[in-house]
Amino acid sequence: MREPTKTVTVAVDAMGGDHAPDEIVRGVAQLSLDASHIQTILVGDAERIGALLQKTRHDPERIAVHHAGSRVMMHEKPAEALAARPDCSIAVAAELVRDGAADALVSAGNTGASVLACARTFRRIPGVRRAPLAAVYPTEIRRGEKDDPFSLILDVGATLEVNAEDLVSFALMGSAYASAVSRNPRPKVALLSNGAEAGKGPPEIVEAHRLLASFTDINFVGNVEGIDIPRGTADVVVCGGFVGNVVLKMLEGVSETVVRLASYAYKERIIWRAGLMMLSGGINRLKEVTDWQQYGGAPVLGFDKLFIKAHGRSKARAITNACKVAAKASQSGLATQIETALQRFELARAQSLTPAAIVKPA
Amino acid sequence: MADAAPTLQYVYRWDLDKTYLKTEFDTFMQLIRSAFEKAEAKRAIPGAAALLRELRAGGKARVCFISGSPRQMRKVLTQKLRLDGVEFDEFILKPNLRNMLTGRWAAMREQVGYKLPALLSGRAGLPVEVQETCFGDDAEADCFIYSLYADILAGRVPRVLLEEILEKAGCYPADAERAVSLAETLPRGDAVRRIFIHLDRRSPTARFDRYGSRVIPVFNYFQAALVLFEDGQLEAAQVIRVALEMVDRFDYTLDALRNSLQDLLRRSRLQRRTATLLGEVLERDGVPSVGALPSAREMLASFSARIQQLGDVPTLSGPSSKPIDYLAALEADLHTRSKVRD
Repeated sequence: MREPTKTVTVAVDAMGGDHAPDEIVRGVAQLSLDASHIQTILVGDAERIGALLQKTRHDPERIAVHHAGSRVMMHEKPAEALAARPDCSIAVAAELVRDGAADALVSAGNTGASVLACARTFRRIPGVRRAPLAAVYPTEIRRGEKDDPFSLILDVGATLEVNAEDLVSFALMGSAYASAVSRNPRPKVALLSNGAEAGKGPPEIVEAHRLLASFTDINFVGNVEGIDIPRGTADVVVCGGFVGNVVLKMLEGVSETVVRLASYAYKERIIWRAGLMMLSGGINRLKEVTDWQQYGGAPVLGFDKLFIKAHGRSKARAITNACKVAAKASQSGLATQIETALQRFELARAQSLTPAAIVKPA
Repeated sequence: MADAAPTLQYVYRWDLDKTYLKTEFDTFMQLIRSAFEKAEAKRAIPGAAALLRELRAGGKARVCFISGSPRQMRKVLTQKLRLDGVEFDEFILKPNLRNMLTGRWAAMREQVGYKLPALLSGRAGLPVEVQETCFGDDAEADCFIYSLYADILAGRVPRVLLEEILEKAGCYPADAERAVSLAETLPRGDAVRRIFIHLDRRSPTARFDRYGSRVIPVFNYFQAALVLFEDGQLEAAQVIRVALEMVDRFDYTLDALRNSLQDLLRRSRLQRRTATLLGEVLERDGVPSVGALPSAREMLASFSARIQQLGDVPTLSGPSSKPIDYLAALEADLHTRSKVRD
């Protein structure tokens, strides 16, 4: 049982998600067989989790179970649910991370409740006013050492109104995260707007553009339009939560519609069916490359502790990968990197120096 | 079979490959590599050597190995055990050369017809009060064979049923006849107290529920040591020495050990009061501060935290104690082979 790298412990909300706890437990069980450097703590109904583990191949040396007496259901109002059941799995899991029993948190449960539990439990990194929720989206272009097909979009719903400083902090945090997880040393960061020109967009976008353009620590490439998201023009796309949420839902809607149209075509005419069958190899490859389950989840950034939000529909594979992403980001010291980036930005602005003149930390 | 020493109280029967040795023979190349490997190159399962040394300490126990490896490997295998400081009393290997020369090709892979008569023969001559614990793995038919052996000794397998089981297991008639004949002559007694199955393949533990509470699937030998402590066969310090070998020689972490303890508690294969008792004894006597094992205080705090994490929820009920349906187990666990003619 050699452990080549530093061990990371991930707390997993076993009761959160459409397929919880069965698929969550299966995902963690698979992780225990795959990754010798990741320890997990399954948080939830200990009896039920234990029964599921007994039926699943796993390595118990890498899994602990922490009992939580209740759970937040997917449809519940976050604040009410957390107030009514302080012993719910997401709250207990967040406390384990806060107390140092785990390094990162993964949940496929109620997004609002998860973000709220983290906001109440974790410390916000100095300089972060709002903690954005990120999402990943498959693009034409591959990036980083690992040929990652996914770009990062943030914020996709944690905030409603943002100002220029919020957008700048989102850009810095997104850049640090993409750099750590995609092993992309200088990810291309862009603001989402209605035109590529610096003066396009609402005042907060224009101001954020001005601030980011003068800061050379990150690879800011200017504004991008909606059409550029699937093209992969930028590795990190920054926007406010309202816009980001609309964009994300639209992208998901388009994907679902394409699948439905293909399904319709398959049933409608034999010749179309034959055509689709001939293309099936390529379609499957495309599906494989763009399958969000291979990424597992996306982070809520801005806290001193890492939280990876997995899709509510996550099955075992997505959970396994979400835990791997959490471990990788945690090992990279993401919170420290974000804090340093924010400090350097503030310093550059305060001293009205060109940021390039600031000596980079060793 | 030598006469039992007057003080003999216990017999520990061990399989070798995947139970004591970390052997890979899933492919032909692995099988060849394993056959020609030198003793120094062979690797033991973490904690197995330490557990065997502790079990044999005191001189009241006998250690018997029974392996499916060919007799030609005796020298290298016994040399490996000597290198690990493991002493044994009996070492049975499969007569594969003879099987080959007499055209008994199926016997080269078949386990029931080889191991069951060997176990029964090993029992002959032992006083009825001598108890046994068997160690096997999840790669082949160890659980089935050891359970059948235990129930034969206890008089729970009638002759007709045994004949049917052996036939359906694909045993050669001569092997089956030998097993039946030995089973008839042995004195009856519930001698096999425990059967430990080392989950080399990380099989789901529920797979072994059909074999009842006597069978304990374990993921490592720290878990086996904990159960043996509960059974009164090991002392607290001996459990710690097993853990120490795993930490010092195999890079086991404290997390891995305490998770292993929690796993046993979750599965109701260890009682909470045993864990508490172990903690009390260790606190009183202290843990030897050698190797990479943390101090007694740190270790107890760490173990105690894992136990508390389970809360007050009831642990799962263990397997039932109803009689084993060997014919169903055969269907589920072994590939039933067609009857082979001698």
